[in-house]
Amino acid sequence: MQYLLLIYRNDAEYGKMDPAERKQMSAEYGVFTQAIVQSGHFKAGDGLQPTTTATTVRVRDGKMLTTDGPFAETREQLGGYYLVEAKDLDTALGLAARIPGAKSGSIEVRPVMIYD
Amino acid sequence: MTPVEVEKIFRDEAGRALATLIRLVGDFDLAEDALQDAFAVALERWSAAGLPTNPRAWLVNVGRNKAIDRIRRNVALRGKQQELTREILLNASAPCENSDGVLDDDMLRLIFTCCHPSFAAEVQVALTLRTVCGLTTAQVARAFLASEDAMAQRLLRAKQKIRLAGIPYEVPDRDALEPRLRGVLAVIYLVFTEGYAATSGEDLMRPDLAREAIRLARLLDALMPGRGEI
Repeated sequence: MQYLLLIYRNDAEYGKMDPAERKQMSAEYGVFTQAIVQSGHFKAGDGLQPTTTATTVRVRDGKMLTTDGPFAETREQLGGYYLVEAKDLDTALGLAARIPGAKSGSIEVRPVMIYD
Repeated sequence: MTPVEVEKIFRDEAGRALATLIRLVGDFDLAEDALQDAFAVALERWSAAGLPTNPRAWLVNVGRNKAIDRIRRNVALRGKQQELTREILLNASAPCENSDGVLDDDMLRLIFTCCHPSFAAEVQVALTLRTVCGLTTAQVARAFLASEDAMAQRLLRAKQKIRLAGIPYEVPDRDALEPRLRGVLAVIYLVFTEGYAATSGEDLMRPDLAREAIRLARLLDALMPGRGEI
């Protein structure tokens, strides 16, 4: 099965990290990504720019409405994701727990829909 | 045998038989339906010809054949290749390993799946009462003072989550066993306290629920002997 591991973090706190901490974190992400590429779980993954750069689009009555900012104002924001292949939910949860961001933020694990 | 006697034996064996059927057919709903079919046959057959030597193995084998019938009917209706593959796999699997060891493992798998931390505590309790203890949906609804419809919905969504989210049907390996076992014990404790001091409803105590909790704890103790925490 495929699972999307959504990495939520507090953008404001993330923005306040000093360069050394940031470097440390990105090194940890590098190690983790390498590890899951090698174990064959990795399908895709990216970090996202902060929600201050987000634009939300809706179409209502055929008209396109554009607003600045994320879909919903929340305490934690989507900061990145991994798409992984895992045999079951427990395996996916185990991968999620190893994401460096899990120590400060939260990881939402969602099974990817299969169309048959 | 009278139908009442047949029902009593069925009730005693249903949990373990269901646990094995779920592993064999890989689907909660299909296994439940197949076991109901097997019960219908048992009512007729056992009343007339008496009890088979190993009622549990009998239920698993008849249930498995009923599951194959059901898949076949589905294939005829929808002609799905995927279902057909499953049927072939099921047919190819050995008729049934009847050693008690294998059946016990299935029961443990079922308990750990029902008490998976990806369910809310209340859902873990409801699933365990329905599937492991073999209470009817109406009885589970009564334990929660919910309507039968609402409880049926909640159980349906939980079983969908097992399938869609890929919640494994297995006993967690050593690293994860401790926290997961604590989760299972928490569920048993919740069932017991609700029986000992009911939080809602007219009765002060619900001996039926306390009894189910004790039955569960004994079962777990028998399945995982020598663990102090149980």
